[in-house]
Amino acid sequence: MSAVLEVSGLRKQYAVVKRQLLRRRVTCAVHAVDDVSFTVRGGETLGLVGESGCGKTTTARAILNLVRADGGEVRLDGQDVRPVLAGADRAAMLAVRRRIQYVFQDPYLSLNPRWTVTEAMREPLRVHSPGQEREWNARVAELLSTVGLDPRHGSRYPHEFSGGQRQRVGIARAIAVQPEFILLDEPVSSLDISVRAQILNLLAALQDRLGMAYLYISHDLSSVRFISTHVAVMYLGRIVEMGAVDEVFAHPRHHYTAALISAIPVARPGAADTRTQLKGEVPSALNRPTGCAFHPRCAAAMPVCRSVDPVLAPMGPHSLAACHNPI
Amino acid sequence: MLSIPVSAQDKPLLAVEGLRVQFPTRDGVVRAVDGVDFHVGAGETLGIVGESGSGKTVTSLSLLRLAPPPARITAGRVVFEGEDLVSTTPARLVAIRGRRMAMIFQNPATSLNPVLSIGRQLSEILRWHTGIGRKPALDRAAELLRLVGIGDPAARLKQYPHELSGGMKQRVGIARALLCEPALLLADEPTTALDVTIQAQILDLLAELRTRLSMSMILVTHDMGVVARMADRITVMYAGRVCETAAASTIFDAPLHPYTRALLESVPRIDHSYSGARRVLPSIAGRPPDLLHPPAGCRFHARCPEAVPDCARIMPREISVGPGHTVSCIRRGSPAETELAA
Amino acid sequence: MDADLIEAPIAAPLAEALPTRRPPSGVWRQSWYRFRRNRAGMIGLVLVTLVVLTALIGPWLVAYAPDDQSAMLHGASRQAPSAVHWLGTDRVGYDVLSRTVYGAPTALAVGLGAMLIASIIGVVIGGIAGYVGGLVDEALMRMTEFFMVVPVFVVILAVVRLFGIVVVGTPLERVPNLNLITIIVLLGLFEWPSVARMTRAEFLRLRQTEFVEAALCIGTSRRDILVRHILPNALPPLIVLVALGIGGAILAEAMVAFLGFGDPRSISWGQALFFNYQILQVAPWTCLAPGAAIFVTVLGFNLLADGLTDAFNPRVRAG
Repeated sequence: MSAVLEVSGLRKQYAVVKRQLLRRRVTCAVHAVDDVSFTVRGGETLGLVGESGCGKTTTARAILNLVRADGGEVRLDGQDVRPVLAGADRAAMLAVRRRIQYVFQDPYLSLNPRWTVTEAMREPLRVHSPGQEREWNARVAELLSTVGLDPRHGSRYPHEFSGGQRQRVGIARAIAVQPEFILLDEPVSSLDISVRAQILNLLAALQDRLGMAYLYISHDLSSVRFISTHVAVMYLGRIVEMGAVDEVFAHPRHHYTAALISAIPVARPGAADTRTQLKGEVPSALNRPTGCAFHPRCAAAMPVCRSVDPVLAPMGPHSLAACHNPI
Repeated sequence: MLSIPVSAQDKPLLAVEGLRVQFPTRDGVVRAVDGVDFHVGAGETLGIVGESGSGKTVTSLSLLRLAPPPARITAGRVVFEGEDLVSTTPARLVAIRGRRMAMIFQNPATSLNPVLSIGRQLSEILRWHTGIGRKPALDRAAELLRLVGIGDPAARLKQYPHELSGGMKQRVGIARALLCEPALLLADEPTTALDVTIQAQILDLLAELRTRLSMSMILVTHDMGVVARMADRITVMYAGRVCETAAASTIFDAPLHPYTRALLESVPRIDHSYSGARRVLPSIAGRPPDLLHPPAGCRFHARCPEAVPDCARIMPREISVGPGHTVSCIRRGSPAETELAA
Repeated sequence: MDADLIEAPIAAPLAEALPTRRPPSGVWRQSWYRFRRNRAGMIGLVLVTLVVLTALIGPWLVAYAPDDQSAMLHGASRQAPSAVHWLGTDRVGYDVLSRTVYGAPTALAVGLGAMLIASIIGVVIGGIAGYVGGLVDEALMRMTEFFMVVPVFVVILAVVRLFGIVVVGTPLERVPNLNLITIIVLLGLFEWPSVARMTRAEFLRLRQTEFVEAALCIGTSRRDILVRHILPNALPPLIVLVALGIGGAILAEAMVAFLGFGDPRSISWGQALFFNYQILQVAPWTCLAPGAAIFVTVLGFNLLADGLTDAFNPRVRAG
């Protein structure tokens, strides 16, 4: 597939409102997503990483219009789909939704507990290909087999499956309408470690087989490294570094990226000795530091970092970083 | 039960022998911990690794008899500083908890009382255990907040938990555990709920503190990276039993038990490139067993790549395969364990 | 078929995929299974079933018509229970057993009728408020609060009395049991706020669950989300509320009747108490029977609600 998803200038802010008796005064705004742009092509996986509050989940939800973005464009093969998703034309909206699907983090809550697994998987078929009921059952059985579940268990309820199996159901539901893009929000974080590898393998195999593109959101950098072709690092709503996955992990240019990578405990004793110490905590989004948002915690901060906000600039053939003093 | 001394002259600070903890439920008895042995020496950090259902959390809670009802310790001994905590009086337990053995919990948000100020919570503990006055207790609390890296402790003492960030709350949790300078610190997934960079800070803090205070530590986690960083020795648990115990370097360089090996292989590595034509992680088939009806024989046999028919019949007993290295696997020479009545 | 996807690295072993000895699978059936193990709930169910059976077949089985005052004619009123009148006779010669049995269908009509009205209004208003939100939510909630603030009892008494006067001389007068119907409607009209608030809370909560968001991502229409996703999941707490409300409505009607504002032509337990409380000391059976009936019925519904709460929200219990 050669579809292209281009996100440019996506913005979402939440106003902090002080409510007085009859007036509402906006005191400040939290920029949950602040001018985020990236491109994902068919067959690729963009890993979106960052810690809590960086805006990665909000970005995904804004792309799908689960939250209404305040600005920016989301282009699918050149067509801006945000107004379509928000608009009244249901047929056009469905045409777009069919192409981008979502896999949720929590396998327990992303399936309706009162529906059987088969019913859950028939829903996308019912919505997008009504009138073809005779083929639905066959398709559901095929989907269940594809993700490694027994089709005979389709009549069971979600609570009868384990977390890993529920996540497989969620994935099966997402690929039911043969989308071109799948946004995955921490799909393995809630699972046992011995099960994570199974699901990661499944996702990789499905991508190789069906050619979809993934936007893989996670705070777990190791799984991101496994599944992604490119990675974008977010901090306080902005992308601070982006590039080919091996390049970014092996040679990070932004200091936050370097700190993030070295903070991950490596399963090798003694590996911890070469680490970048990061002081302080992620600042509250209400009190965004001036200039580069990372400068209070950055060991390499220069005076200009305090006043001027860096923009994403190419740092090599395969990566971009927003830093005045890159590594 | 087999217990391997760390060295001839060291009596371990804590020795757990044959611990069994069960939960009677309407559907049957859940054998959460089914015959576990390990020990911790003075100044040593033991990492207990396992996934959900391995019994690691129940084990750590049971050391202080804090496992929530209906949990019951049905067998075994927990010998701490010469005293068996399983059979001792509740009065002795209360005297030990928080004073000689302390615990930090996974979720800092829920382990602090939201309606009491930090200073109040910390000083209460001190006053309970040592009987000192309010002002000296608050001073000591401030001293500890400084020790765990919280700036401006006087102001923090007056604050409430909800005013602190996750990392700060966990630091307060650590300070709380260290108030009476315990000999042993139990840390149950202390960093799982925290962001990655904060996690690194907390682990650094724990490493520094245990050296400074000559404290032993038991670190319970599912994260192999965390134990690699922190532990001197590692015990790997699965479905309520211990698979393997060894020095940290041995576990990572030369693991023997098939579960340990499979686990290490199945975790994606951050320092390893996966851009190749065929990306596959060696994964463990299946999922952790149902503890209501555990499989007969070795708990891992259904998922084990090296299983033989005998594995389904025989429950392996721990056997020593090297200095300080024990394994429970008949494929590695373990004899059968005679099943004890629960 | 994608045969090469179903190889060892991906497929979960299917043999041990699902435990086989678990209780039946459907969520409703699972709740029933839990309910059966709750003693209070089962007792409640038994009591309620008893009342329902009494209401349905009791009237066919009693020896005397409820308005048979023949006992008074031969001086046998206010008689203690005997072989002829199993629960005795009351102040005007009615057979107490008959009146008590015939009171059951009235009580159930009141309870079910009132809660039906309350549920319909409450679910609609609460559902709209919870799902739409914003100004609509605010307006509806203020209206709800108004209904909660009004003193229900006083209003019922006043309306019943006024209605009784207003209706004289109009064709409405001939409607059977008009007073009772008025009471039922009024009870329903004042019971809906609690249903509305519960519904609103559930809709607000469910609107944000991930499976509803998943449905949005799939493209499911709003109507489908409301009816197929949200409503079935909102039902359990509503059912509990309704069970409690039925008991409450029955009790309310009994109180209204006891104060003399009930429908004298209807046969209800409250009415029986109203007729006979003056002879309580000399003929206690006349009041004990309807009193016990009210007690058993309301207790039954309350225990049922208790059991349902547990069945829908399983808690880990020691044992």
